[in-house]
Amino acid sequence: MEFFLISMLNSISYGLLLFMLSSGLTIIFSMMGVLNFAHASFYMLGAYFAYQISGWIGFWPALAIAPLLVGAVGMAVERYGLRTVHKFGHVAELLFTFGLAYLIDEAVHLIWGRSSVPYAVPPSLDGAAFTLFSTEYPIYRVFMMAVSISMLIGIYLTLTRSRIGLVIQAALTHPQTVETLGHNVPRVFMLVFGGGSALAGLAGVIGGNAFITEPGMAAAVGPIVFVVVVVGGMGSLVGAFLASLLIGVIQTFSVALDYSFVNLFAKLGITIGPNTPLAALWDLTISQTAPVLPYLLMVLMLIFRPKGILGTREG
Amino acid sequence: MSTAIELKGITKSFGNTAIIRGVNLAIPRGERHAIIGPNGAGKSTLFNLISGRYPVTQGEILLNGEVVTGLKPFQINRKGLSRSFQITNIFPRMSVFENIRCAVLWTLGYKYSFWHRLGGLKDANLRTEEVMESIGLKARRDTLAGVLSYAEQRALEIGITIAGGAGVILLDEPTAGMSRTETADAVELIRKVSQGKTLIMVEHDMGVVFDLADRISVLVYGEVIASDKPENIRGNPAVQEAYLGTEAH
Amino acid sequence: MARLKYRPLNLGRWLVWGGTALLMILLPQILTAGFTLTLLSQIGVGIIFALSYNMLLGQGGMLSFGHAVYSGMGAYFTVHALNLISKGAFYFPVTLTPLIGGVAGAFFGVIFGYVTTKKSGTTFAMISLGIGEMVAACSLMFAGFFGGEAGISTNRVIGEAFLGISYGPSIQVYYLIVGWALICMVAMFAWTQTPLGRMANAVRDNPERAEFVGYDTHMVRFLTLVISGFFAGIAGGLSCINYEIVTAENVGALRSAGVLIATFIGGAGFFFGPIIGSIVFFTMVTAIGSITQAWAFYLGLLFLVIVLYAPGGFASLIAMHVPVIKARLMRRLWLPYSAALATGIALLAGLVSVVEMTYHFSTEAGANPNMKLFGLAFNVTHAAPWAVASALLVGGFIISRFAWNLVGRTWADIVHILQEQSA
Repeated sequence: MEFFLISMLNSISYGLLLFMLSSGLTIIFSMMGVLNFAHASFYMLGAYFAYQISGWIGFWPALAIAPLLVGAVGMAVERYGLRTVHKFGHVAELLFTFGLAYLIDEAVHLIWGRSSVPYAVPPSLDGAAFTLFSTEYPIYRVFMMAVSISMLIGIYLTLTRSRIGLVIQAALTHPQTVETLGHNVPRVFMLVFGGGSALAGLAGVIGGNAFITEPGMAAAVGPIVFVVVVVGGMGSLVGAFLASLLIGVIQTFSVALDYSFVNLFAKLGITIGPNTPLAALWDLTISQTAPVLPYLLMVLMLIFRPKGILGTREG
Repeated sequence: MSTAIELKGITKSFGNTAIIRGVNLAIPRGERHAIIGPNGAGKSTLFNLISGRYPVTQGEILLNGEVVTGLKPFQINRKGLSRSFQITNIFPRMSVFENIRCAVLWTLGYKYSFWHRLGGLKDANLRTEEVMESIGLKARRDTLAGVLSYAEQRALEIGITIAGGAGVILLDEPTAGMSRTETADAVELIRKVSQGKTLIMVEHDMGVVFDLADRISVLVYGEVIASDKPENIRGNPAVQEAYLGTEAH
Repeated sequence: MARLKYRPLNLGRWLVWGGTALLMILLPQILTAGFTLTLLSQIGVGIIFALSYNMLLGQGGMLSFGHAVYSGMGAYFTVHALNLISKGAFYFPVTLTPLIGGVAGAFFGVIFGYVTTKKSGTTFAMISLGIGEMVAACSLMFAGFFGGEAGISTNRVIGEAFLGISYGPSIQVYYLIVGWALICMVAMFAWTQTPLGRMANAVRDNPERAEFVGYDTHMVRFLTLVISGFFAGIAGGLSCINYEIVTAENVGALRSAGVLIATFIGGAGFFFGPIIGSIVFFTMVTAIGSITQAWAFYLGLLFLVIVLYAPGGFASLIAMHVPVIKARLMRRLWLPYSAALATGIALLAGLVSVVEMTYHFSTEAGANPNMKLFGLAFNVTHAAPWAVASALLVGGFIISRFAWNLVGRTWADIVHILQEQSA
């Protein structure tokens, strides 16, 4: 029970972090048809910016400034890069963001080095929030959830109350119609791209010190975010939310479980030795398969429900 | 079994809006059949249903006596139905020759072959040359399809449609946007290439329709209100009221 | 991407293929520096890999982010086969072991291809990435097959030398690669001239029309992927023989990214584009990689510049000059090109300085603030070198814009003249 509750809380905080990334990616994809390959790189930039800024003036200013900086970078990328390749089609846009991701990775190598940087949780948020049975639950995890949820409410209010939000909402369901209405103005694109990047940056600020800030963090989380978007359904925000939590649960629980088929068979009275056919497969524990599970889920989803959980479009 | 195409109670709805509302139509083999009707009557939608581009909501489509409802476009095509598009739909980055050759490969049995050399396919290349000759684009053989004139692209569109030798041919507004002389050429072209085949066409130009069609169906708000010989259609009061009365030249 | 069209110009074609073969055979005799053989072998394998990739990207319109899966699995099967052969489990000539890799590549093409090729475009790109990540994650799970962190090593010298060929010396391996590269190049070129190859172009350009002339677009993409996987597997098998070790990197995302970059830089719209791309890519990696740690940054920058300003790659840049040379109009371009080159050098010098100084500053400034660049020694913590570098960068950028405008205007004139000539 204790294990379950703690893991559940961790799943939710990780899932919410994933949603911060996948929501931006989904909105950008729905509005502009661009699958932003560099989205996770903005996440990484957020973490590194926050590390740098909090070294100078502290964590709290960094929490506000780093996402804004990342958003500014995103807007510049849209204005001076994406807009140029737009005329060559979506594949060219995808290639551009791919090249950008590659370049940001390398730039991070050049500026901050190849190993991780000591971006730590601020002392004011270091410690236990409460004790559950015998486990102390860290304040920072609670803080992450609070930030994620307030951002969630922020997105919701923006989408439902503001003019640009209404345009974005319409674009999610009827992209062609919105285009013909003349709302497909470059400025909206730039703001959406900047906003999505800023969200990713914010996720980086609070994720970078909860996990680890290193040059490989974009490559590690990027494909997972893609999986979330595919599993949730391309272009569905609610789908992305559900898929984020689902992947959060899968990843958190699977790394902690040491069961394998050998255990299962043993319960059934069958012994598996090293000479049994496919011994390597039966011997795997769930925790060993953890890295592969999200992708497996994606492939299964594509075979049995290509639209994703709540998607309306098939690619 | 002399019916080429038979539609039985075909219905198509987008959301709650019914665009095609119970169309019944039987077109005998070898007939040149025109479908006319005011804008928004659902003529192109009907073509998209017959050719498998959209799934039907209700009803059954028979091609040469065989049910083809629910089949994919390529499956329907392989059963001997080929169509053209209202908005030119060709391979713009390939030459005229390559465009036509792509359309003859399947029926000549080359399918997904990666063991034949295209240059050595005598029958395919001969057939391609024939088709180019018949649509009058022989001189433009190596020109990229994307840079042809509009009328030439329309001719190529018809060429791709007939190249595979399908017995049933659907032409969606083949003369739309053409000048008078271009239209006259197109009519002759259509007459020539549809020789001995079943032709169904959607057309707005009444001159073309009365010139080519053996029989005409009038589609109004998703329903066939009349289907008869041209002279009877001309005299049909319901048709005149619904359609000819307002749009006749 | 420009059109793929080949006229039956047979004499010319024989000359091109013969010349390519002769060049590949003679190159190691001409260039005898220590690293060239390694580089040439890398390029040879890279050419097969990039051409197989371009079957997807250039000919089939499928942007894959996981092509290393097929070459990597080919490499793994080859390495296990080699180890089994040397144990005497079965007999198979080493010369032909890349075929085992090819079959493995095609097999995994069948397994993964059916799901991935249902759609093209963005969806295909995403799923190929997911499959790539899945295989990469598996490589750490099944240590028995993938060899874990250390990978699987082998020895390509098996049994007695046959006609003096033991594949011990790397020159023999180079000629093995050349042989396979020539066969694969001819085979992949021939593929573009088959019904399936042509329909892959048709499906790329207009999938809907292809369906209405009787082709199942999913099937066309699927078969294209399987064949592409076959050639990728051969490339993997050759790299296994070349390095005598296969690690998880072989199936990893970086390898997939590399082949995409090489192919695109060379030009996906032309058959020979990926060949140029491989040459440029591996030369850059080797040559620049030996000078600076920032080589990957420059490579990424080159890729972005190509995506933004020359999406047809080097091949299209070459192709667009052919009619100009034929019309004897090159002389008009020399001056604008020289201007662009001169200003470009200034810009590049500024850029390189800033990048290298940033790198030095962030890594070693504390221990050793002195660095050397372009033969000049300076202290990276001082302001003056930064001022010079920034001035070069900004100034170079501004004057290059003038030069490029001149190039653009000249090109517009030339296009105009060419149009009038043809009319």
